[in-house]
Amino acid sequence: MPARKSLSLQKETAVDINKARQLVLGRLCGRVALPELIGLASPLDAVFSLLYRTVSNDEGNSALLIGPRGSGKSSVISKALSLVAEKRKRENITSKYHIVRLSGFIHTNDKIALRDIARQLLIEQDLENILIGSFADAFTYILNLLRVASVEGEYGQPPVLFILEEFDLLAQHPKQSLLYTLFDIAQSQQTPIAVLGVTARIDVMDLLEKRVKSRFSHRQIHVHYMQSLDDFTSIARAALHLPLSDNINNDNNATFSEIYVSRFNSRVDEILATESVAAYIATVFDLGKDVRQLLRAFVLAASHITIEQPLLQLTDAEASIAKEEASAKFQVISTISLLELCLIISMKSLVQGGSSKYNFEMVYNEYKTFMSRHLMAAATGGTMKVYKKPIALKAFEALVELEVVRPVTTAVSAESNAGGGAFSRNDMLAGSTQGARAPKEYRMVQIMLEPGQIVELMANRIDVPMVIRRWAQQ
Amino acid sequence: MMTTDPNSRLSVQFPGRGEQIDQLLAFLGQPTDSSPPGIFVYGPTATGKTAVIRELFAQYDSTGQQYALVNCIECFTPRLLFERTLNAWAGHTPNVSNKYANYVRCENLVDFINCVRDLLVVASGGQRADTTHYLVLDQAERLRDRGPMLLTSLLRLSELTGANIAVILISNVVWDKFRPRHGGAPDPIPIYFSAYTKSQILDIVAKDCPQDEPQAFFLTFVDAIYEVFHRNCVDLNELRHLVAMLYPKFVQPVFEKQATRNEFARLFKLCQPYFSAASERLYLREISTSEWQKNSAVASAKNDPDDVTLSIYQMAEDAETLDLPYYTKFLLIAAFLASYNPARLDAQYFSRSKGPSKRRKGAKADDALGGKDRQQLLGPKAFAIERMLAIFYSIIAEPVDSSVDVQIQIASLVTLRLLTKASSGDRLDGIKCKCNVSLEAIRAISRSVKFDIDRFLYDFT
Ligand SMILES: Nc1ncnc2c1ncn2[C@@H]1O[C@H](COP(=O)(O)OP(=O)(O)OP(=O)(O)O)[C@@H](O)[C@H]1O
Ligand SMILES: [Mg+2]
Repeated sequence: MPARKSLSLQKETAVDINKARQLVLGRLCGRVALPELIGLASPLDAVFSLLYRTVSNDEGNSALLIGPRGSGKSSVISKALSLVAEKRKRENITSKYHIVRLSGFIHTNDKIALRDIARQLLIEQDLENILIGSFADAFTYILNLLRVASVEGEYGQPPVLFILEEFDLLAQHPKQSLLYTLFDIAQSQQTPIAVLGVTARIDVMDLLEKRVKSRFSHRQIHVHYMQSLDDFTSIARAALHLPLSDNINNDNNATFSEIYVSRFNSRVDEILATESVAAYIATVFDLGKDVRQLLRAFVLAASHITIEQPLLQLTDAEASIAKEEASAKFQVISTISLLELCLIISMKSLVQGGSSKYNFEMVYNEYKTFMSRHLMAAATGGTMKVYKKPIALKAFEALVELEVVRPVTTAVSAESNAGGGAFSRNDMLAGSTQGARAPKEYRMVQIMLEPGQIVELMANRIDVPMVIRRWAQQ
Repeated sequence: MMTTDPNSRLSVQFPGRGEQIDQLLAFLGQPTDSSPPGIFVYGPTATGKTAVIRELFAQYDSTGQQYALVNCIECFTPRLLFERTLNAWAGHTPNVSNKYANYVRCENLVDFINCVRDLLVVASGGQRADTTHYLVLDQAERLRDRGPMLLTSLLRLSELTGANIAVILISNVVWDKFRPRHGGAPDPIPIYFSAYTKSQILDIVAKDCPQDEPQAFFLTFVDAIYEVFHRNCVDLNELRHLVAMLYPKFVQPVFEKQATRNEFARLFKLCQPYFSAASERLYLREISTSEWQKNSAVASAKNDPDDVTLSIYQMAEDAETLDLPYYTKFLLIAAFLASYNPARLDAQYFSRSKGPSKRRKGAKADDALGGKDRQQLLGPKAFAIERMLAIFYSIIAEPVDSSVDVQIQIASLVTLRLLTKASSGDRLDGIKCKCNVSLEAIRAISRSVKFDIDRFLYDFT
């Protein structure tokens, strides 16, 4: 590693270094847009022109923006919206337009959505009475309120841009009235609205009802998977490189000296070219090209930028990568107690004996049988003891807590169904609660590990006696 | 902000957690740095996850308005979670003067997002939006069954509100088991709290050393306890519990002038009854802490070791045996037999003229015993009340006193959950029941009425 504080960097004040850290962290954590959107020029263009036409030509428009998770869909939209605002500013157009953002994650039904639409359009009126009628009526009423509120002489109705994130979830609302109404208005051209649905589901069209589909323009804008690893790597580069100047939070402008920027950026390039880091980037690329996952690996390094250490450190990046890659499932159970391990092996041998589900009593029986056979053989040196049932049960419960062992829930009702004949509702209820009411020793469970993984579990432990190892390998 | 180096201070307070504290502090960073939207703190029980984070925030933010600590078991509806969070961020405490009202009312996710935006972005004129706010969700695995969108939306809180928010999830379940099926939840950054090594455990328990006791002496004791218990239990809390309960007994001989502090071997020997008999029962909480402290006086090393053992067993037994009327005990035994024995063999076992033992051999020849699907392993099966009564009348030696109302006895066994109903309906005749009592318990009950249950059990080992 080069010297921590070099003479040439002393020009940089602590304030500037803080700003550099904030800028890079902001990008990595998704709060500051990257300086450029890599490989997204054509969707950006399409989204921009769609929105712009609604805002300036009063056109009704609808389209779907489709692309995988973390591929930059939301970023494209924010960029397009800011381009619209910029262009209008350049052209000195001041007419009013509204933006409404909905997300299937939080707008879980149409009523909630409608209320929030009104709120976002700054309509203060109490909506309780209008919410009684049909969705379309209420919606038109809200848009009409906008017309009254508008002071523009020329345009009776200001354009509204509807951004519908997680469109597929919105399509799961009963009757799809929200989508129907929006598409219907967009298509009828009476009111200038743009409806832009955003989704990660390629098959999203199949979710739409016929009447909804018929009102949709069928325009699809695709954000494709990144084609080359180089492009993917350059996203990381774009996120980490410092510019010569930048306004991070509108008002506080940061300028960095040329020498700092060039040293900072060449360190970034070095890190990205390092074998371990490049390999990680390639893995993320192969596994689904999620940009968020790519950028996450550099948060730790970026948060360590200080006046004493103004450049990124490779060791930080490598440490984060190691943590990402460590198989989390194994970490937690690699330190369970020997008794818990024995119970896991007992379950493995039950599985190998052909049982797909088993309860604590069976597991304990398996454990006891094995232990007594081997303790009698007395070849173990006497360090092992057979634990009593209640102690083993406590260990077993710890495994359930870790969800290494999962209760089998459907079995009981399936059985009572298989029993045939018409069950009254009461019988069904009694049947399904029966499983839950059984004493915990008898509730059926399943182990969530593969036999191979169980053997692997033992590899790194030194405290496992040879007999147990051999037992696990059987 | 922090004056002295927070890491070194916290690391002293929490031995063995230096690396995790480092990582957390790096992600917390300076107050206006952007934080990762999700951090996932996970690891086995009793590895200091909650304690470290609690302490870290208490020192990091003395005003308490930048973080909210929410326990997901306590806040069992999304609404409680939302309102608790906003109370914390707004610095609002429900109390008498505000009639225990919350800061705002939040019914659903949209309300929550809007309230957060109002509080952090709008109300402060954008000032607070840049300061990181933390939402710490303990026992986060519970969030999975609070609606499919809650967890996802919380992990996108920063994106959805435009404020600088980090959500910290704490759990002992791994992230793989959280990931919602629709795939919209961005993976949080993992921070792993590993299980403590032996030396770390000793460092931590060393802090429990009673004030006037020599630490090296105390640690030798802890070491011994660790060696006995780590094979079946690696939980730090359990170990501390045992040490706290047993250490006074261990040093008692010193004060009673039976041994000196240098005679470890002798002290261990004097303590032996506790190690073997009490520790297991304390671990299983068969003896409660208060009971132990009250009654363990008799268990002094001055007394005969056999007496000691006996008194310990007595304590556990008191908690264990069921005190039931004489006939009710037989009813329960009958229920147990009906739950586990095959009905087809009832005639052989319970016909009055012949004892069961002869027939049992015959039964053995017919069936393969000791199989993996024997009733003992499968658990109790449902039986008709009539069958239980038939067994009851056959195992009871003398005719039943006519004043005993068997139906009422059955009803009270159901109320006590010793019998569970396996079919619906309020009337007790004609329904099916299961016996909800373990083999050990039924053996104890049988002993108390001098009934040899093992002779009647089919295919038990
Ligand atoms: N092609 C790209 N060029 C530059 N930055 C990108 C690109 N793709 C993604 N990003 C960055 O990745 C992060 C996630 O992107 P974004 O939120 O736009 O994804 P998304 O497609 O909306 O994901 P989701 O479907 O999960 O909502 C953002 O911080 C964004 O800056
Ligand atoms: Mg998005």
